[in-house]
Amino acid sequence: MAINLKTAVVESREQRLGTIIGWHGRASDLARESAYARGGCDGCGGSDGRKARRVCELKGPFTQGSVCSEQMVECQAGNVRNAVLVQHSPIGCGTGQVIYNSIYRNGLAARGLPVENLHLISTNLTERDMVFGGIAKLEQSIRDAFERHHPEAIFIATSCATGIIGDDVESAAGHLEKELGIPVVPLHCEGFKSKHWSTGFDATQHGILRQIVRKNPAKKDEELVNVINLWGSDVFSPILGELGLKVNYVVDLASVEDLAKMSEAAATVGFCYTLSSYLAAGLEQEFGVPEIKAPQPYGFAGTDAWLREIARVTHREERAEAYIAREHERVQPRLAELKELLKGKKGYVSTGSAYSHGLIAVLRELGVEVDGSLVFHHDPVYDSQDPRQDSLSHLIDNYGDVPQFTVGNRQQYQFYALLQQVKPDFIIIRHNGLAPLASRLGIPAIPLGDEHHTVGYQGILNLGESILDVLAHKKFHQDLAGRVKLPYKKWWLEQSDPFLLARASQPSRAAE
Amino acid sequence: MTLIDHASIKPAAAPAKTNSIEQIRYGCAIGAQQTVAAIPRAIPITHCGPGCTDKQFMNLSFYNGFQGGGYGGGAVIPSTNASEREVIFGGGERLDELIDAALKILDADLFVVLTGCISDLVGDDIGGVVSPYQKRGVPIVYAETGGFRGNNFTGHELVTRAIIDQHVGPYEGTRDADLVNVWSLLPYHNTFWRGDLTEIKRVLEGVGLRVNILFGPESKGISEWKAIPKAAFNIVLGPWLGVATARHLEAKYGQPFLHVPALPIGANATTAFLRQVLAFAGRKRRSARAEAFIAEEEARYYKYLEDFSDFYAEYWWGLPAKFAVVGDATYNLALTNFLVNQLGLIPGKQIITDNPPEEFRAGIVEHYRHIADDVSTDVEFEEDSYTIHQKLRATDFGHKAPIIFGTTWERDLAKELKGAIVEVGFPTSYEVVLSRSYVGYRGALTLLEKIYTTTVGASA
Repeated sequence: MAINLKTAVVESREQRLGTIIGWHGRASDLARESAYARGGCDGCGGSDGRKARRVCELKGPFTQGSVCSEQMVECQAGNVRNAVLVQHSPIGCGTGQVIYNSIYRNGLAARGLPVENLHLISTNLTERDMVFGGIAKLEQSIRDAFERHHPEAIFIATSCATGIIGDDVESAAGHLEKELGIPVVPLHCEGFKSKHWSTGFDATQHGILRQIVRKNPAKKDEELVNVINLWGSDVFSPILGELGLKVNYVVDLASVEDLAKMSEAAATVGFCYTLSSYLAAGLEQEFGVPEIKAPQPYGFAGTDAWLREIARVTHREERAEAYIAREHERVQPRLAELKELLKGKKGYVSTGSAYSHGLIAVLRELGVEVDGSLVFHHDPVYDSQDPRQDSLSHLIDNYGDVPQFTVGNRQQYQFYALLQQVKPDFIIIRHNGLAPLASRLGIPAIPLGDEHHTVGYQGILNLGESILDVLAHKKFHQDLAGRVKLPYKKWWLEQSDPFLLARASQPSRAAE
Repeated sequence: MTLIDHASIKPAAAPAKTNSIEQIRYGCAIGAQQTVAAIPRAIPITHCGPGCTDKQFMNLSFYNGFQGGGYGGGAVIPSTNASEREVIFGGGERLDELIDAALKILDADLFVVLTGCISDLVGDDIGGVVSPYQKRGVPIVYAETGGFRGNNFTGHELVTRAIIDQHVGPYEGTRDADLVNVWSLLPYHNTFWRGDLTEIKRVLEGVGLRVNILFGPESKGISEWKAIPKAAFNIVLGPWLGVATARHLEAKYGQPFLHVPALPIGANATTAFLRQVLAFAGRKRRSARAEAFIAEEEARYYKYLEDFSDFYAEYWWGLPAKFAVVGDATYNLALTNFLVNQLGLIPGKQIITDNPPEEFRAGIVEHYRHIADDVSTDVEFEEDSYTIHQKLRATDFGHKAPIIFGTTWERDLAKELKGAIVEVGFPTSYEVVLSRSYVGYRGALTLLEKIYTTTVGASA
């Protein structure tokens, strides 16, 4: 399904990719049910042949607070350096300014950029605006944004409230773009419109593709590679520098110009297909910038293949082969030591979808057992539809199956049973909410705040060192574990099936 | 690359007030899920979009002193994660299904259903969903807290009232002359609420009262809420938050209330507060126990103050003279009071950021006008941080750099003004806060440590 930039509203992940948020079984079964290998599952709606296949999904009555698309717009468009994000919403959506400010500041510091507060403005809609509409306030806040900060672009995040009352955000953005002479970019990210927050990544990237990326660039920079990432430390420059390539990090911490010049680059890569899928596919489709279609750069197999594909696309094969050989040799001695130190240890990965596929590979390179993983959603296919990007199959083919593979949008109540099934020595997490439960069970977590920590050959060693650090933390968590009561009832804690309630409410699918 | 050079802005260029709020200083009404999470063994159930619950928790609690989710907050909180289906067809059935499942899975003494924008806009009949559970004896109440109805202070009073009206209920029994209810800091939003409520309870108990503190680690939870009507009276400790609740309790149970606008910091203020409470309690005789407690606390306090005075009197490298306070009304007034009256610092600029109801504003201003016998100052009400920072830039702090009592939003501004920053309110993203308190006898000493560690720590 091609990316459609004609309308301002992004197509949600479930519409484009058949994304699911509830599933439990063997990773190999999920890979088989997903589009790359086989196609939809019988009796669950199936595929219409044009869009992504449908995978059977478990949906139960009990759900804990998830995350919404608007939050992902805040943490992407809201972290562009010389832009302003106007949150067209009641004040509550603006509460997210706090976390994304902290992450933005710390990210700037880690990248050696000047530290500053982010630039987010809430239109602060109240009850009266729900009745009469909020467009006048939106226009005022856009003008405030312009006068206060003279930004190079203004993004607008919509909200559940403005979606329901039907504010015509596009018209306001259109006439203010003409008036102010800078891109004014509506990003449609009403939380209720998608079951998974990653649609918010796509909403931001959709707006950037439509209104920020330079159309018909006068020049091409054959050394420039777009790296779609978050706030991670500068790990890609040293790697791609070996091939004589330069890095253009987007979207977080980028300038508006960094976003505009994406169309001039020689290629696009990412650290995780969940994040990069839409933008990379859009850059290729609309601007002819090739997306690197390879496994993600995790573990030897993934990193080798990823580097070779970049080298092929940018015509640097010899340098790549020399670098690959050097790096294999360089990391082996410490890797051998780490494998010895980590012998018999069990890990559990609970992160975003494609990222988890990469992390499990790294753990297995280290000789750590991985019997289970919880991913927050599953995309049966990415936007390119190219099987070389089938990150789950890459994992299974190169590193073996994962027997307890779970899809769930960060549901802590299910996490208890999952941990009981696997009994890991440590977990790896990125999003909040699960590590606190693990802690109360005596299990330490590695929070991968720097998402680049595990990338490439050095990433294998980095993760090994981090595991050693966190295993020492066990003392703290085990001390705590004996002294706290969990908020879950005994009956629930005794259940071994985390999807018990879902299966009970979907009797026809209980057998699956 | 960076945005506008703020230093080049003329101080006179104060922006016209608009609807815009940049760098927010409160959450929305559903942020009152944190009010529920602050009650031991109470769990919120939210009926809202998929991000609301996480957003209020991660910002009001996590990136604000890293306070944690507690027993039933954080990622525990059930949410309908409302989708397009609930927008089009209504979300009552989905909420009912969620409550039913929550009762199977979660172990709580009270559930509080809070609604978000979606439910309040499509008009779900929440009472219709919740009341059958109430009739069955399930401990559950509801409050309509759609974000457009107001901020998390508004939500706090809605939730408090919901618990009183729907769960505590009517009371015909006798009153306990020694028991008081305390309504003070907004839990979680005030970064130091746990330590502060602990200290408030401690000093009230010190003079012989028993205290329904209602929130935080020192609360007995729902049994304490059930005992609200038994209290002799209510104490509202702060300029405005809690007054509506106290008025409601007065109407509902005929329970009087004492309103003390300035949360006490330091020995003088705390002793005055305790005497005021004792007088209101009608304890004509000054009980020996109360006086002994006060004497002992003061003696300890002044022993430390005496030791501190060596530093305060003769530290070579300069200490700040003028200050600014940016924060919610309760802490703003309390800090200004302490800084002026205990330390003899000079007020530079005070800005209250929690949007107090109009009826309280003139009274609040009066407190600043008469902050000391010989000191009068002013206070402004503003919620937009861009405007707040412009006001601070335009303030004449005299010949040396100010100390700013503010939030994470003021970190860069403090640097720009070459001053110091003490993060004392939401959001405080660069402090880890556990039991620390800045109020009462003990908290004041901690506050002195914090202020002057900040100052001295930046010396070299």
